[in-house]
Amino acid sequence: MATAKRDRQGNFKKHEGPKPTPKPVARNAYTPMFEQLRDELDAHHDRRDRIGKASRDITALSKKIIFSLQRVRKIEETLPADIQKEINSRLDEIAKLLASIAPEVQTINRFRYARSLVCLEELVEALTFCHYLTTQTLISPAQLQPIIEALARQGAAVKEDEVMTTDVDQSAETSVPTVGLTDDDYIYGIFDLTGEMMRFATTTSALTGKMASSDVGGGDRDIVHDMHELGTLFEILPRRSGNKNTWEKKLDVTRQSVQKVEKLGYDLKVRGSERPKGWVPDLSSADQEDSHE
Amino acid sequence: MAPLIDPALFDQLKAKIEEDTEIRKELEKIIDDLSQHVSFTQGLLSRIHSTPRSKYDTLIPQVEEGIKKEVESIATLNAFASNHPFFKPKPRYNSKWTRVVQEAISTVLLCAWLGGVGTESRPGEVGRLLTLEEVGEFFKVPINLKDRDAFHITIEDYLLALISNIDELSRLAMNSVTLGDTELAVRISSFIKDLHAGFQMLNLKNDILRKRVDSIKYAVKKVEDVVYDLSLRNLLPANKMEE
Repeated sequence: MATAKRDRQGNFKKHEGPKPTPKPVARNAYTPMFEQLRDELDAHHDRRDRIGKASRDITALSKKIIFSLQRVRKIEETLPADIQKEINSRLDEIAKLLASIAPEVQTINRFRYARSLVCLEELVEALTFCHYLTTQTLISPAQLQPIIEALARQGAAVKEDEVMTTDVDQSAETSVPTVGLTDDDYIYGIFDLTGEMMRFATTTSALTGKMASSDVGGGDRDIVHDMHELGTLFEILPRRSGNKNTWEKKLDVTRQSVQKVEKLGYDLKVRGSERPKGWVPDLSSADQEDSHE
Repeated sequence: MAPLIDPALFDQLKAKIEEDTEIRKELEKIIDDLSQHVSFTQGLLSRIHSTPRSKYDTLIPQVEEGIKKEVESIATLNAFASNHPFFKPKPRYNSKWTRVVQEAISTVLLCAWLGGVGTESRPGEVGRLLTLEEVGEFFKVPINLKDRDAFHITIEDYLLALISNIDELSRLAMNSVTLGDTELAVRISSFIKDLHAGFQMLNLKNDILRKRVDSIKYAVKKVEDVVYDLSLRNLLPANKMEE
């Protein structure tokens, strides 16, 4: 119930209901022009805010997926059922969020709001990590794009079901706007992937006493080898994509991750047999590296 | 077993980065070109501070020549840049690019305000403000694009250019008094005050536009001081006294 507001003395305040209209601005020859520009700018700011909000949620969900994936103990074709279930439910939510902003990031707006859409980097990290854990290969942007598009479509389809419009089904398939993946989203996502691989290698080797490698493919390479290969990829790539400082910083973190994993490989080789099963090395410093991202 | 990284993937990534570098190099050339024409035109325009209005007839055509070169450069930029995503970050070049384009807009706005860049259908006159649409038509480039990705002039470009103009005009207000043209000073004053009112209607975020808009008040103060000085000494032109 709305009650009349009182001032400090307990007297009813004068202005109730709608606020008095603000003093009309003195109009001049340029007022209409500025009004038009203001509306355009407002629309732009609002759109950026909406994208930013969805992006924060997608980032949080992607991080949760990564945490779930860190509970995996070996590289194999199918993820443990409970973890897969967790991931699926997060992906469903991400799908809805992607669908909600997809119409706003078409053509020119994709790059215009690229900074508000940083969540894609995190999503790439989660999806590539998932792909690595099931196939022990690095997913390409060409493989990744359809996955993200499918998510956006799936989210749009869910929304339409809720609105009870069943007649649009196949026709919408092609016209539903999706979210495009940029080169930067991919490459920086892969940078972050190396950090996750390092953590994965550390936990699995500590808990299982073996370097993680795939059973499916014959297991002729382990994660130490993979880290080296990823490290080399970034070292060989021409150094200039997006912001140079970001690139250098990420490359530095990647180098450290590679070295941590090679140290693990060495430790296992030399002292592996001496180490009691279940011994866990101190991960605190490694965690600190990652947490400020 | 399949290799971790498909060799084709590496080639792909490398090619993309190299392509970006090529684009940047090409842009660099075009922007440098434009930048030269812009600073030449700006240099000519700086003569307004020492040129009485009766001599604009010789000054303005010179400025227009400079602007013509700018238009040509912008056409090149438009043709090249429209093949690539407009807002895609172009490392270390984006800020320079937008700044130069804004400066070019600003020279045209100033020239038009001083009575230049008239057309047959609309002759130039002192005090004329080109709108964003008119600036777009003048440079023959699109403005404020929303549905397709190509080179264009943004609202922010236009507004920032307009603010640079306000600064320049506030300086001109003082100098026109020195040159004995008090009428021009009064005109500038009312123009700047009108624009200031307009800018105050915008809902700004904490960005560069906000910062620059905040600076307009100093220009307003400057021109108000000039008008005050004039009125104090009864130097205001007669028809403007009542304002």
